[in-house]
Amino acid sequence: MAKVKINDVEIEVAPGTNMIDAAQQAGVEIPHYCYHPHLSIAGNCRMCTVETETPRGPVLEIACNMQARDGLAIRTDGDRVKQVRKSVMEFLLVNHPLDCPICDQSGECRLQDYYMDHARHDSRGVEAKVSKHKRQDIGEQILLDAERCVQCSRCVRFGDEVTHTGELRLMNRGDHTEIGMFPGERLNHDYQGNLADICPVGALTAKDFRFERRVWYLKETDGVCTGCSTGCNISVCHQEGEVFRYLPRRNDEVNKSWMCDPGRLRHHEVGGLERLLKARVNGQPGDGVAAAAASIKAVGAPKVALVLGTRASNEANWALAQLGKALGARLYWVAGNDAGAIEKSDGFLMDADKNPNTLGCRLLAEQSGAGDAEALKAALPELAVVLALEDDLVTRLGQAIPGLVALAAKESPTTKAAAVVIPVAHPVEMDCTYTNKQGRVQRNRRATNPLGDAAPAYAVVDRLAAALGKSLGTQMPVVTFLALSRAVPRMNGLDYKSLGPGGKLLAPAPAAALGGEAK
Amino acid sequence: MPLPKPQKTLSFAESSYLVEVIKGMVLTMGHLVKNIIDQDRFRTVEYPDVRKPMTARYRGAHRLTVRPDGHVKCVACMCCPTVCPAKCITIIAGEDPSDPAEKFPVEFDIDMLRCIYCGFCVEACPKDAIRMDTKIYEINAYTRQDMVHNKSYMINLMDGLKPEAEDVYRHDPAAAPAGYTSDEEPVA
Repeated sequence: MAKVKINDVEIEVAPGTNMIDAAQQAGVEIPHYCYHPHLSIAGNCRMCTVETETPRGPVLEIACNMQARDGLAIRTDGDRVKQVRKSVMEFLLVNHPLDCPICDQSGECRLQDYYMDHARHDSRGVEAKVSKHKRQDIGEQILLDAERCVQCSRCVRFGDEVTHTGELRLMNRGDHTEIGMFPGERLNHDYQGNLADICPVGALTAKDFRFERRVWYLKETDGVCTGCSTGCNISVCHQEGEVFRYLPRRNDEVNKSWMCDPGRLRHHEVGGLERLLKARVNGQPGDGVAAAAASIKAVGAPKVALVLGTRASNEANWALAQLGKALGARLYWVAGNDAGAIEKSDGFLMDADKNPNTLGCRLLAEQSGAGDAEALKAALPELAVVLALEDDLVTRLGQAIPGLVALAAKESPTTKAAAVVIPVAHPVEMDCTYTNKQGRVQRNRRATNPLGDAAPAYAVVDRLAAALGKSLGTQMPVVTFLALSRAVPRMNGLDYKSLGPGGKLLAPAPAAALGGEAK
Repeated sequence: MPLPKPQKTLSFAESSYLVEVIKGMVLTMGHLVKNIIDQDRFRTVEYPDVRKPMTARYRGAHRLTVRPDGHVKCVACMCCPTVCPAKCITIIAGEDPSDPAEKFPVEFDIDMLRCIYCGFCVEACPKDAIRMDTKIYEINAYTRQDMVHNKSYMINLMDGLKPEAEDVYRHDPAAAPAGYTSDEEPVA
C-alpha cells in the first residue's frame, strides 16, 4: 500500500491509484471534467489541478494524471489551486451559451456545480460569444449541442476505447474547437445513452429524456436492469410513482459505468400499454388468486405444474418452489426467451439470454428437483393446471398449454392464452434479488408502488398459498431471502445487508453440479 | 390577581349622555359636510363603479409575456413550479423544432385557488416570462376548474399590449395609457 498525504490527511491506497480517486477516499473532492474512472487519461480540462510537494517547493500539477506512490503529498485547498480553478471556470464559460433554462443537464451540470463551488466570478466578456452548431441529431438516442461543450473529450475516448467506433472527433482549432462527426456519419452502436451520461455538461443529451422532467425533481433508487442476464446495475430515476429514466450505476465487476440502449429504454414498460394492471379470469375481470386456487383444488395437486420463472426474482421462485413442496405439485423450469425479445449478444454487456435470473432460477430448480422444458412437454398431456411465473411459456414451449395460470407484469402470448391472469409488480416496484450470469446475487430495490392491482410475485404466491390453505410466509422479501439463503448451500451466509450495493458472488459450485454455468 | 379598578363615578351631565351624544353628532356631521365640500377627501371607494388604482408593485393575476415574434417567452425551465411554495403551477414542456428557443410550455396552468400571490415565480423566472403586473385582483369563477388559469388565458390577459411598449410602461407607469392599469378596454 502507498501512503499518500492529501491536505495533511494521511491515507493508504493501492499504489497506482488515481489521485482523484485517492482524494475521494480521503473525503476530499477534486473537481474534474475530463477524468473518468473507466476511460483513459486526457488531462485537458485542467480543473483537477492540485499542488504537489516537491524539493523545489509546491508545484501545480493535474491530479488525474498522478498515480499514488509512497510519500506523495498534495494540497487541494491552497490559494493558488483555488485561483487555477477559478480561471479554468472563467475560460470554460467564456463561450458558454448559458442555455440552462432549456438545457436538460441543468441540475446535474458540472459547469453549474463548479461555478457555484469554485468560481462565482462576474463575466468580463466584452466580445460576442462564438456560436456553434446547436441541436444536431447525431444518433438515435443523442442530440449534440456544440456550444455547450467544454471539449473534455470524454465522448471521443468513449467511442475510441469502449465501443471502438470512434465517430465523434474534436474539430477545428482554438475557440472554434467543437465536437463533431464526419459528414453523413451517425452514431451507430447500442451504447449511445452512455454518451449523455458521461458528458459533464449539456452538450450530449438523451433524446429519450428530452424535456421530460427537470432532474432535481427525480429521486434515484438502486436497481438492477432486467433486460438480460448481465444484470447491469442501474439507478431508477422516478418522481411521484412515475419512472423517467434508467441510468447505469457504477459496478466495476459487472457493467463498470455503462449500460446498453435497449436496457436503458426499458423504463417505458413500467407504465406502458402492455402492462397488466387487473386480474382476468377467462378473459373477464375477476379475482385471479381465488380462481387459480379453485382450479388447483378442483384438479388436485398431481395434475398441477408450477413453472419457475427465469424472469422472476429469487424470492418469487423460492416462494413458488415452497408452494410446490407444500402442495405436492410438480415443479418445472423453462429456459429460453420471451416473445419480442431481440436475442442480440455483443460480447460486452448485451447477452443473448434476455432473462435477468436464469442462473438463480436454475439453481432453485436443481435444488427443488424441478424438471426442464423437455420434461414439461412430455408431462403436458397429464396436466390440468400449469402456473407460469412471469415467463412467456407459450412462446418458449411453442405449443398450447392447458389450464394456464399466468403471473405476469405485462401482456405476452402466454397471458393472452391463459385462463387466469394475475398481475405482478414490475422489478422497479419491488424489493428482490436477481442472480446474473456471473453468479452475482444483486439486490434490486423498490422505487415506486405497484401499479393497478399488481403485487410482488412472491406476495402473490403467498396469497395463492393462503387461498389453498398453506402458509408460506413469503410476503416479506427480507425474510424470504433469509429462508432462501439458509436453504440453498451456494447462497449460505447471504442476506440483504451483506449483498451491499454491488452484490455478492454465489459460492463456487460443487464439482459438476452446475456445469456450463458461465454461458 | 390585581383588584378591579374602582369605576369612575359619572357627573350629572355625563350620566344624562345628552352632551356626549351631541358631541358625537357634531363629529359625524362635520365629516359629512367636509366630504360634500371636498369630495377628493372621501375615503370610501364606490366599488365596483369606481376602482382603486393599484400601485405599480401590486401583485395581481399572473400573465405570460410574449416575444416580438409572438412566441411565448416562457421556455418551460420549471424554475417557477420549483420555487412555488403553494405548488400551484403545472407546466408540461414540449419541443418546437422551428423555434431557436427549442423548448416551450405546451401547457402552463396556475391554480389560482392555491396561489398565495407571493410573487416568487416572477422572481425566479430567468426569461421575464411571467409577471403579476396586471393589477387584476378580481379573480373569481363559478367552478374550481375555471379558477385554473391556462396558458392562452394568461397570454391574452392584457391583450394588445405591444411587448416593446410593455417594458417602457413597466419602468414608467405614468406614461402608460389608461388601459394598462385596469382590465377595461385594451390598448389598440
